[in-house]
Amino acid sequence: MFASATATPKESGSMRHRSFTAGTGQRLPARGLTRAAQRRPCRVDATAAAATGAAPLTKRLGFIGPGSMAEALARGFVSRGVVAADMVGCSGSKSGRNRVFEEFGAVAYDSNLELVEASDIIFVSVKPYNVVKVLEEVRPALTPRHTIVSVAAGVPISTLLRAAGPDTRVVRVMPNTPCLVGEVAAAMCLGGRADESDEAMVRAMFEAVGKIFTVTEVQLSAVTGVSGSGPAYIFMVIEAMADGGVKAGLPRHIAQALAAQTVLGSAKMVLETGKHPGALKDMVTSPGGTTIAGVHELEKAGLRAAFMNAVVAASNRAHELAGP
Amino acid sequence: MSAPMDVTLDKRIGFIGAGQMAEALARGLMNRGMITGSQVCCSDPNSARKDLFKSFGATPYESNVDVAKNSDVIFIAVKPNYVAVVLEEIRKGGALTDKHTVVSIAAGVTLSTMLQAAGPTARIVRVMPNTPCLVGEVAAAMCLGGKADESDEKVVRTMFEAVGKIYTVAENLLSAVTGVSGSGPAYIFMVIEAMADGGVKAGLPRDISQALAAQTVLGSAKMVLETGKHPGALKDMVTSPGGTTIAGVHELEKAGIRAAFMNCVVAAANRADELAGVSKL
Repeated sequence: MFASATATPKESGSMRHRSFTAGTGQRLPARGLTRAAQRRPCRVDATAAAATGAAPLTKRLGFIGPGSMAEALARGFVSRGVVAADMVGCSGSKSGRNRVFEEFGAVAYDSNLELVEASDIIFVSVKPYNVVKVLEEVRPALTPRHTIVSVAAGVPISTLLRAAGPDTRVVRVMPNTPCLVGEVAAAMCLGGRADESDEAMVRAMFEAVGKIFTVTEVQLSAVTGVSGSGPAYIFMVIEAMADGGVKAGLPRHIAQALAAQTVLGSAKMVLETGKHPGALKDMVTSPGGTTIAGVHELEKAGLRAAFMNAVVAASNRAHELAGP
Repeated sequence: MSAPMDVTLDKRIGFIGAGQMAEALARGLMNRGMITGSQVCCSDPNSARKDLFKSFGATPYESNVDVAKNSDVIFIAVKPNYVAVVLEEIRKGGALTDKHTVVSIAAGVTLSTMLQAAGPTARIVRVMPNTPCLVGEVAAAMCLGGKADESDEKVVRTMFEAVGKIYTVAENLLSAVTGVSGSGPAYIFMVIEAMADGGVKAGLPRDISQALAAQTVLGSAKMVLETGKHPGALKDMVTSPGGTTIAGVHELEKAGIRAAFMNCVVAAANRADELAGVSKL
């Protein structure tokens, strides 16, 4: 599933053990290391690590709820050299997700409490309705060194603090699905005792797998409308452009590949040139040419209003779901 | 952007016309470790462009004939109305051989026009690139003409895969390619601006809204390219029951954006046919 360019089959069956001084719990024995890797484990991409210029974190990461988002984040952090694999732990899985984490060198724990005792940064990546329960469960093990990072949609900071304790360092993050391919668009806000050092840490981690911005909590609904829900809008655009290409005579697979690659490259131009999207549009619409003909059709259809409406509707729905 | 590839290209690449596209291609190949600057030469009326190429190790020439004489792959990167002129010039200068691969990136200049100018035994590859070539993510298509064969196709593929993706099509499909990838960037710039506007309406500062919008578009396209899943299936995966995303999707469907995008691709493709002088009955 992961197309990380740095993923390779694991050569050796070396086991990673992390020793910790606190806590008395049992550690799950590492298992399945001779299992054929249907999942591609990752290793540290020295080139990428050098490119980001970031020294690996000396903090230990723990993921409560090792689902696909957690896996994508953990793999991304490890493969970009943000953190060493044996500094990553997970817990809270009933269905064998632990093995997936072990396959890339992380450590699985029997219980959430043990994970927290052995970690500094705790990612809470369980389903939103389980977040409070999990935080109340691990509250006795929380100390001032811990930072809680919640990626659960719609769970406000006040709820997190009520469950974890008012003096907890809490960072609430709204990521999005392209985290799975190492290009997340995310936003964070701080709560409780979280400070600039927590912000800097979370930023360093997420910038290994895409981009992250700091906003106020009130703005997270708007973030949802743009980046949280945005991928669906773009999947529709790509399908429709591909349909147009097929209408114009292209085989489907070429039309779709060209459409997706065009969308990718165009976004990259906005991100890298720093030019206004309107200015970029001007640059590529030559007089009486093909492009302005296409642009005219989109304007006739009210494309701009459609996308504003989509973002606003999704954002409003996020407000509703977040409750009074 | 990516790690250097193992492949090296042991050809000399000459650019007649040393503009931005030519520069992007030359740099892309060098960044991938596929060629060194010493394998590149160019000509251009603008001395600043020649100086730029010189600065990364390429050899600038005053004459197009010299570029052709010192290259295996000749890139014609001049304005469309000069392509035939340039090809005739290098042919008459005795510099065009049956070993040369001639690559044109000029919009709307057909293989037959080029073969008339270059001679029927020339190996011509016509490429429709797009602007994101400039950031190393081109979406391009090529078609072969004259004596161009699989080895020419392979060379051109290798070059363009250093800066993105390229597909081989029949020449009569290049208009359709124009509609999708040639003109496509403008559509996406509009989408990004509109999503950013939506974010601002919902309360985000402009700079964050635009950055989130652009990054979201990038990541979403990458998901389509890398997961190999159907875009409709991906849309299904991210629309949870009664959630925020399906609310947004509904607005787009109400506005008929699917038809809008089909219309715009077809309109651009039709315009490309008109400009090429092809009549569609």
